[in-house]
Amino acid sequence: MKSRTGDVVVGIFVILGALAFLFLALKVSGLTSLSDNGGYLLKANFNNVGDLKVRAPVTLAGVKVGNVESIGLNAKTYQATVTLKIMPNIKLPGGTTASIFTEGLLGNNYISLTPGYEESNLKPGALITDTHSAIILENLIGQLIFNNSKKK
Amino acid sequence: MGRVPAIACFGFFRHTALKNNALDERPVGQQAIISLQHVQFHREQREIFSDLTLEIPRGKITAIMGPSGTGKTTALRLIAGQLIPDAGKVIVDGQSIPELSRKELFACRKHLGMLFQNSALFTNLTVFENVAFPLREHTKLPEAVIRTLVLMKLEAVGLRGASELLPVELSGGMARRVALARAIVFDPTILLYDEPFTGLDPITMGVIVKLIRELNEAYDMTSVIVSHDVKETASIADYIYLIADGRVVGFGSPEEMLSHHDLRVRQFMQGLPDGPVPFHYPSRRAYDQELLS
Amino acid sequence: MSISSVAKLGRSSVDKCAHLGRALQFLVHLLSIKPRPLANFKYLMEEMFAVGVQSLIIMVVSGLFVGMVIALVGYTILAKFGGAQQLGQLVALSVLRELGPVMTALLFAGRAGSALTAEIGLMKTTEQLAAMEMMAVDPYSRVFSPRFWAGVYSMPLLMLIFSSVAIFGGYLVGVRWLGVDAGSFWSNMQVAVSFRYDVCQSIIKSVVFGFVVTWIAVFQGVDSKPTAAGMARATTMTVVSSSLAVLALDFILTTMMIGGW
Repeated sequence: MKSRTGDVVVGIFVILGALAFLFLALKVSGLTSLSDNGGYLLKANFNNVGDLKVRAPVTLAGVKVGNVESIGLNAKTYQATVTLKIMPNIKLPGGTTASIFTEGLLGNNYISLTPGYEESNLKPGALITDTHSAIILENLIGQLIFNNSKKK
Repeated sequence: MGRVPAIACFGFFRHTALKNNALDERPVGQQAIISLQHVQFHREQREIFSDLTLEIPRGKITAIMGPSGTGKTTALRLIAGQLIPDAGKVIVDGQSIPELSRKELFACRKHLGMLFQNSALFTNLTVFENVAFPLREHTKLPEAVIRTLVLMKLEAVGLRGASELLPVELSGGMARRVALARAIVFDPTILLYDEPFTGLDPITMGVIVKLIRELNEAYDMTSVIVSHDVKETASIADYIYLIADGRVVGFGSPEEMLSHHDLRVRQFMQGLPDGPVPFHYPSRRAYDQELLS
Repeated sequence: MSISSVAKLGRSSVDKCAHLGRALQFLVHLLSIKPRPLANFKYLMEEMFAVGVQSLIIMVVSGLFVGMVIALVGYTILAKFGGAQQLGQLVALSVLRELGPVMTALLFAGRAGSALTAEIGLMKTTEQLAAMEMMAVDPYSRVFSPRFWAGVYSMPLLMLIFSSVAIFGGYLVGVRWLGVDAGSFWSNMQVAVSFRYDVCQSIIKSVVFGFVVTWIAVFQGVDSKPTAAGMARATTMTVVSSSLAVLALDFILTTMMIGGW
């Protein structure tokens, strides 16, 4: 009898450990969005991705619709090629634009999509041509100083 | 007394549980079942045995006695294979103990019971589970059989009523009786007692003396008692070995020992405060010199 | 005079080497035990209870406080730079990469390790181990092995629970009390925390720590001198040497993991 309750308690302990593992895997490291039922890939070329990281969120109207799957360099155009993974139930019309924004002043970069107006939807693997690169703070300041000095 | 034959008839258990063992073909007759030959042993540069030779006859109660610190318990541990001698032979029932592998030694120990000085009961198990422990570890007997066997052994030591108690709830004497029940649960051929009389009140001492005698007769066991309690040991032992200074200094029946020609033996057996073993620890200077310095 | 102190040094280093040698020998013997899954499962469960379950409360309570403190301190620093929404990332990374495995191992050494040493030391002092050997029962497979494996299995479980509770504590302070936005708390955390590099490596760390701490604890019990002073020394040694081993190993493992291992 005694060892039986002990076994049950140990079982609960192991289950707690497994739940903690699931919590860390799903909620903390966000494994769901990687492994869940596919989704489709889109590509976008940027002149500069700034501080964008793999698995950064992709949002539409502020709502998360996917992640950055990978970031690479196109050796011919010297542009960054970003592969986006979009949730399967989100259909994006042609002419959609992608911009890299920063959360707050020092926050992480993320990609924001603005839907286009074309009739046909973007097919998996399609390239988003209209992109806005990350705003690099240093460049912005540089421009400001340059413009000011020109006015004078 | 009526309970003893009831246990003895359970001797069949020995043959079923302990089969395929060399000990079953025992030589008949009055032979030595344990023999230590020219054993040398030292521990941390202190020599304990320089040349120990002793033979323990089968089916008898033999006592190994000696002053404190002479290595009586060490001798017992050499027999049990817990210690390995530096030189010499230790032969138990035809097997040379120091040469056995761990596995063979464990097989051999199933025929060897040992009663430890401080009982060594498992503190987290009840009395019943303590006695059942060797059975559960070595056999796959059904629970009912284990229960019967354990209760019989506990009855033999008079503690069947205490079977659900924990070791902390037992007195020293009761704990030793439980340990005895545990040591005999496999019906060993040899039972080693390490200081069985130490720290017991006279009644419990009498109980233990009686139990050792009865068990030895009922199970046809060989008993080896290590003790320095002369009176109790002499009352049950068939033979006594006296150890001092790393060797055997006297051997004989209790009566022979009491009137032994060696003064040292007589001093020990009669408990005289002064004699060949001096009352005074040797000092470098004389008493008056030291006082006046 | 100087010769004798050199001799003393020599003797103590020989002693240390012998101690280490015995510890390694013990480990080899322990690992060479053939598993008897059915018979040993029961003992493993008993020891998981003693080692793991009984350490649970201390882990949960200290995890909660550790997480809350990190959130509080992190918030005040991050808020200066206007980066309070990065709090989730700060809490999760510091807990998963360092504090979870290390704190769990240190608490485990103090709670379960010292108890293991004391228990085995007491069994040795009262000749229970010798009695077991005399009954032809191997203390390695009956006593040491289940305790050792219970420790190795319990440590990662405790670490996972500790880390989860700590992150939850960070959430309580950061989101509920200090008013960081819950969405950015979690999503920043998810962006920064990698399952493979952070969660898995913290599990690897805590398995290694569990192995080392339990090994030290069980060995110190077996190697203790059978006296009251010897037992006290052995328990202290367990806590001291396993804490040092955990911190040193943590540095080595972190170096290996950052080095792209």
